[in-house]
Amino acid sequence: MRHVTRLLAAGLMFVGLSLPAAAAAPQRVQVTGEVIDTWCYITDIMFAEGTTHHQCALWCAVGGIPVGVLGDDGEVYMVLKVGDDTTNVANPAILEIQTHRVSVDGELYERDGIKYLLIDQVVNDEGIVTVNHDDFGIQPFGE
Amino acid sequence: MKHALKLGALALAFLAFQPVAQAAQGWGLPEEEEVRFDATVVDVLCELTGDCPDNCGNGTRQLGLLDEEGVLHLPLKNFTPFTGASWELQQFCGKKVTADGLFTTNKGYKVFVVQFVREAPDGKWQRANRFTSQWAEKNGVAADSKQAKQWFRNDPEVQRLLDKDGVFGLGPEADKAYFEANQ
Repeated sequence: MRHVTRLLAAGLMFVGLSLPAAAAAPQRVQVTGEVIDTWCYITDIMFAEGTTHHQCALWCAVGGIPVGVLGDDGEVYMVLKVGDDTTNVANPAILEIQTHRVSVDGELYERDGIKYLLIDQVVNDEGIVTVNHDDFGIQPFGE
Repeated sequence: MKHALKLGALALAFLAFQPVAQAAQGWGLPEEEEVRFDATVVDVLCELTGDCPDNCGNGTRQLGLLDEEGVLHLPLKNFTPFTGASWELQQFCGKKVTADGLFTTNKGYKVFVVQFVREAPDGKWQRANRFTSQWAEKNGVAADSKQAKQWFRNDPEVQRLLDKDGVFGLGPEADKAYFEANQ
């Protein structure tokens, strides 16, 4: 019996050490906003919304920079999952909705100042609605 | 004079055999900090939810840097144009690394640019530009070719999307109208 207890304790310790630390409970959310490239938007290295930045947003998404949703609340939500697909580096499904205005249902995790969004469902896709290239040209190279 | 020349030659030889010093290079980003810190490379989705595929998802997952105080840093960028950090960090999944680069804070978000990385404590420094060689290999061109350096203009998936939706995402007709008006 003592042997079994020791084994259980060792097993629990192993499991405890194997699980990621500080997993917090998610919050159910609905977010509406534009699918964006997070690097260009957060750093302000160029104007990074709408049609003017669509090509660059594709480059960055294919290049593996995290894609986000810029919510109507002004917050940036880093997308880590869409539906059952947990690919979040250059995910082909996300590339197809780059720059679109979408409404999504999902789970929100906040960790160290970053909002991570796990999308269960894109409930509405309005397509691209921020048409601004006549004002801003093509970011960043003008072609 | 001969003595001075000998000393100079010795100093040059010494420098030539030193490993290249790796240090963050400023990019002029908002609230930029040049930093070096030790952290464990983690799959962000795994860290948050416990959904942990083998080997951090083998390149399919965004990777984070979990520092010794338990802070999860999100690297958005590496050292090559329009590319992220997972290409650089995948090889270190689950390992402790020393990351060298830039923090930038803007709009309330603090994110990281990985410029150099090595396995801690004394692995060989790598410039965080592995994306280019990986892309070149995948696409059958030399890593130092113009195609690889301008990968974003030559990537088949990017090209497919641009052919379908145009540079504005509104379709080829919108491109045509814009370029005709702005010749």
